[in-house]
Amino acid sequence: MISKRMKKTFLTPLGKENPVFVQILGICSTLAVTNKLENTVVMTLGVLFTTMFSSFTLSLIRKFIPSRIRMIVETMVIATFVIIVDIVLKAYIPDVWKQLGPYVGLIITNCIIMGRAEAFALNNTPGLSLIDGLASGIGYSYVLLIIAFFRELLGTGTLWGVQILGDWWVNWSIMIMPPGAFFMLAIFIWIVKETFMTEKKEASNE
Amino acid sequence: MKKDGFYALRIYPLVFMLMVTVVCISIVTGLFLSTKERVEANEGLFLRKTILQAANIPYPDDFREVTALYEASVTEVSDGQLYYRVAQPDGSFTYVVPIEGAGLWGAISLLVGFTESLDELTGIGIFSQNETPGLGARIEEEWYRMQFVGKRGPFVLVDEGMADAPDEIDAITGATRTSLAMRDIINEAVTLGPAIVRGQ
Repeated sequence: MISKRMKKTFLTPLGKENPVFVQILGICSTLAVTNKLENTVVMTLGVLFTTMFSSFTLSLIRKFIPSRIRMIVETMVIATFVIIVDIVLKAYIPDVWKQLGPYVGLIITNCIIMGRAEAFALNNTPGLSLIDGLASGIGYSYVLLIIAFFRELLGTGTLWGVQILGDWWVNWSIMIMPPGAFFMLAIFIWIVKETFMTEKKEASNE
Repeated sequence: MKKDGFYALRIYPLVFMLMVTVVCISIVTGLFLSTKERVEANEGLFLRKTILQAANIPYPDDFREVTALYEASVTEVSDGQLYYRVAQPDGSFTYVVPIEGAGLWGAISLLVGFTESLDELTGIGIFSQNETPGLGARIEEEWYRMQFVGKRGPFVLVDEGMADAPDEIDAITGATRTSLAMRDIINEAVTLGPAIVRGQ
């Protein structure tokens, strides 16, 4: 059932074509919502849902979309799914919805979703596009979760709102402000590139 | 159908876009209407909880019990400006007044509770704010709200954890601008609140 192509489609966005640390997409939300683990989880689930289903839907209708207006159609479909996420959050978890504020709506402008629609969904079957959307979403999510883990821990001494570090810990306020996200993301990209992507670098040096 | 004909270039994209729009809007509208009641109930519940917080009445988690408690103790008064009259468990009456002011990033709207004599606070409740998450947004945390209970304005700010006298309030470390904004809003409320209740 699982073909080689499916496996490749699923694995590339997780590693060597990762949307966040290789393609540097979706940085706005990476900086904005990663100061609390709880908010990050809800945000990443929202993005995951949107990339999956917008890629799937666009792939379903890809043969009917006139190429001149394809971007408007893409935006329309993506926006629909984002508003669905927004309404569901507002109705069922209003506390988290309040904290995420405008960032749920801003999923619409997340370059990862539009990028996958343009680059993949318009040229591939719905099944593959769904896998590609899912994998891109996961690739985005795990990077955000790692960053959020360190930002919440260092910034407030808590994880998921539960106090982890004792009284001796002095909170690094900068970690919960946007500059803290820049530092964490840069350190993360540096570590990943130095440890896992060295082969590519050596090859290009030759 | 010719690929570069009038129909393919001019008519078809319009018709297609119209169809996509109608489908998308129908889905969103349907979902919006079907959750409308729930969203309104959530907002109403949140306002009621905030009023109870400002009146310093402990409330249960269950939303039916919150509603029952609210209906039993709070009366809305709207001659002139809206405020709330709260019957405390000990039989006395206190007042809760909605106040709005400028925060660091946007408006902060809150409810400020006054004792019967209108010279002491019974507490505050934050209804909406857009302060920095993790810093200024800590004004929503219980320790920050509870420090106003039984205090008398106008207030001066002291370092976090140092407030002692009845006119001192804790600032939030790392959120100076929000702390200053909250001090100003509440100091204004201390004079504005009693005026609204007295109908001036």
